Amino acid sequence: MMLKKRNWLVALLAGLMSISFVLSGCGGSDSSSSSTSTSGSATATGSAAEKLDPIEISFFITDPGQAPTPDNKIYKKIKEELGVSINWEFLVGDKNQKIGVLIAGGEYPDVITMSSDIISKFVGAGALVPLEDIIDKSAPNLKKHYEPYKNKVKDVTDGHFYVMPDYGVYYNDFSINVNEGPAFFIQKAVLKDAGYPKVKTLDQYFDLIEKYKAKNPTIDGQPTIGFEVLSEGWRDFCLKNPPQHLIGHPNDGGVVVDSETNTAEFFWDKDYAKRYYKKLNEINAKGLLDPESFTMNYDQYMAKLSSGRVLGMFDQHWNFSNAELTLKTQKKDERTYAPLPLVFDEGIQDYYMDRPVLNVNTGYAITKSAKDPERIIKFFDALLTEKWQKILGWGIEGEDYMVDDQGMYYMTPEQRVNYNDQTWRLGNMAHTLWYYAPKMEGTFEDGNATSPGGQPKEYFDALSDYDKEFLKAYGYDQQSDFFSPAPENRISYPAWQIDLVDGSPASLANTKVGDIATKYLPKAILAKPDKFDSVWEEYVNQLHKEDIQAYIDRINEQLAWRAENWK
Amino acid sequence: MANNGTALAENKLQSKKLTGHKLTWNTIVKQKQLIFMSVPMLIYILIFSYVPIWGWLMAFQNYKPAKGFFEQKWVGLQNFKYLFKDENFIRDFRNTICMSFINLILSYVTAIILALLLNEIKNVFFKRTVQTVSYLPHFLSWVIVTGIVATSLSTEGGIVNILFMKLGIIDSPINWLSEGKYFWGIVGATNVWKELGWNTIIYLGAITAIDPALYEAAGLDGAGRFRKMWHVTLPGIKATFVVLLIMSIGHVMEAGFEIQYLLGKGPVLDWSETIDIYVIKYGINQFNYSLATAAGIFKSVIAIIMLFIANNVAKRLGEERLI
Repeated sequence: MMLKKRNWLVALLAGLMSISFVLSGCGGSDSSSSSTSTSGSATATGSAAEKLDPIEISFFITDPGQAPTPDNKIYKKIKEELGVSINWEFLVGDKNQKIGVLIAGGEYPDVITMSSDIISKFVGAGALVPLEDIIDKSAPNLKKHYEPYKNKVKDVTDGHFYVMPDYGVYYNDFSINVNEGPAFFIQKAVLKDAGYPKVKTLDQYFDLIEKYKAKNPTIDGQPTIGFEVLSEGWRDFCLKNPPQHLIGHPNDGGVVVDSETNTAEFFWDKDYAKRYYKKLNEINAKGLLDPESFTMNYDQYMAKLSSGRVLGMFDQHWNFSNAELTLKTQKKDERTYAPLPLVFDEGIQDYYMDRPVLNVNTGYAITKSAKDPERIIKFFDALLTEKWQKILGWGIEGEDYMVDDQGMYYMTPEQRVNYNDQTWRLGNMAHTLWYYAPKMEGTFEDGNATSPGGQPKEYFDALSDYDKEFLKAYGYDQQSDFFSPAPENRISYPAWQIDLVDGSPASLANTKVGDIATKYLPKAILAKPDKFDSVWEEYVNQLHKEDIQAYIDRINEQLAWRAENWK
Repeated sequence: MANNGTALAENKLQSKKLTGHKLTWNTIVKQKQLIFMSVPMLIYILIFSYVPIWGWLMAFQNYKPAKGFFEQKWVGLQNFKYLFKDENFIRDFRNTICMSFINLILSYVTAIILALLLNEIKNVFFKRTVQTVSYLPHFLSWVIVTGIVATSLSTEGGIVNILFMKLGIIDSPINWLSEGKYFWGIVGATNVWKELGWNTIIYLGAITAIDPALYEAAGLDGAGRFRKMWHVTLPGIKATFVVLLIMSIGHVMEAGFEIQYLLGKGPVLDWSETIDIYVIKYGINQFNYSLATAAGIFKSVIAIIMLFIANNVAKRLGEERLI
């Protein structure tokens, strides 16, 4: 009995520690994603909004989050100058369940954030207000903002404009410092140790990791982990997406799209997919793969990355950037990651970085429960002026950022710490509102970036000495230089945004093949090398039992629709 | 004695009346306070247990939210047909039943053994300590418990692997959570760890209700500790045991949800997915409420059948029963 008690205490302590760790890992910043683009449309007019009657708008954010403090200085300013106070509600619990209840009840908050997996539910229920006429009539800034994309913002089912996309509209010049997208990542220490080689192929990558691990069996006293694969829940792209990139295709989700014919191919059962997983099987046999890869959850994954002993993984940068923040606060800059756009063979051109695409189906939508949709649209329209975009992106001049002699914005180290502090943001920034709102990206008329993350000098000043030296060794100016420049996007790109329509055969097939892959890929990777082929064969057979054709048909139909309507 | 006799007779009379189900105006008037007090409960049950059955109709429709009842499309038994043809559903049914029975048997056996052992301890402080320590995990949420389980079973410094290796049972750490064959065992063991102390409370209560004279009598007849357990304590708690068992069998389709949901990763999917997870995945997440409802009805029907079987068996064995 005594032993039991002690076991229990040890386990409880371990549990508590891991929990507190995860909590502390969450305190990082949420840098907005950015990438290169060609379209630099005209700046919206900076006219101040007319004074309107005070109104309270209820917002429902379909992600978990924290409401700003009641005395938040930006929201106060918004209330004073625009007459709008906001009543926030954030998602608690299961998203689909909450939405189901909302729709079944037919009573909605005034404004709801949409995403491509839920939009069809709201449109199907007739819950949203079409915005095209209201914007035409009373929102000049929004009209100008979406003018180049007036076909893209149309709903695929009925052609109305319901959702105001949050990201993807660029103004003037801009620079992309950090590519938040997918790549094979490797610890900077590994590259430094090998003399800063340019790594192109998968084989070179694993060679580097193998050698470094042999030299450094432990890091900070804990066993070194060679390669990590996250496969939990919707984040399973870390397991399922790499093959398409290795053959030089951009991120289209579960399919590879031929840019000539604009048709999609299901690739999970193809030889190039097999080649990747066989390689993982091989490195597992060498002891390079973390044996807990397929049983850990996202929190455990982040904990492992934050410990600094994981040498590499495939991921998208935004997905683990909080772990890098933790490493930086521990002064372990050499354990943060550099992106590598790997391919199978030297001859293949990498296509990891893409040009910004309009984030369709994602952003604020106004529901039919809203009493005065026009007033709400006018509010968003007022926010889409340079004056308010500066307040939302940078804060208040002199308090949250400084202006130098040339008129360029910068932050003092103290302001920078504040900016990255989640708790500080709740009282001093309107981050939630800005994050989902129609916004300017790129630069303002005066040449300043629309947010600190896009300001080249600010980016470079914020780098640690280690990172500066690391980039210098490669002759790069920024993290995104590791990638080949992004080619022009295919009109129908990207396929992963396509809504499969709930309950349709396509959506069902997608869920089912997803399950099969989650089950069989780990089996194949962890199998004895001589068993790999037979497990793979079984996997392919299982896949072929499902209605993959329905899934591909839906994708192709939508790709064709886009090619037709998005021109 | 005479008074006692009449009281007994009256008791008998009343119990006869009750069992006879003769509801006369007289009894209603006599018991009006009782009836009045039970009305709120009746309303509660009607609203929360019977009115929702209306929603079962969804299972026979192709239900779309935000549409009126008469605008829905009726599809007959299509959803049920889909369920029984779906390999995943059959697999999840198997998992649910198996894990549920493992939980049932393990929790009963361990709870009764611990209750018997605790009852023999004479040192009150030690007894209380053991009881408190063993029931504390009951108050932890499953999220925390699964975190503890994952940490304890980890291949890197997990206490289970270290212990087994020190004892020489295994040579190298086992990745417990990635092999399906261990999953049901892990669920069973975790349930025991979490609920053991809690489950014993009721048995300890039942044991204290046993007349001490019985132990004395057994002692005079020469019974030792184990004899007393076997012939006095166990029969003394049999009634409690049977009632609890019948109730648990009614819940046999609920093998738990959180632990399977949180620990059941890809490699063990074939052993971990339960009907509840199926409902989330293919019903609610797909916005297919009709399928979810059909699966729910299936669960309820099985549960009711099991409940009646258990009740009947108990009746035949001459034991306490619920209905």
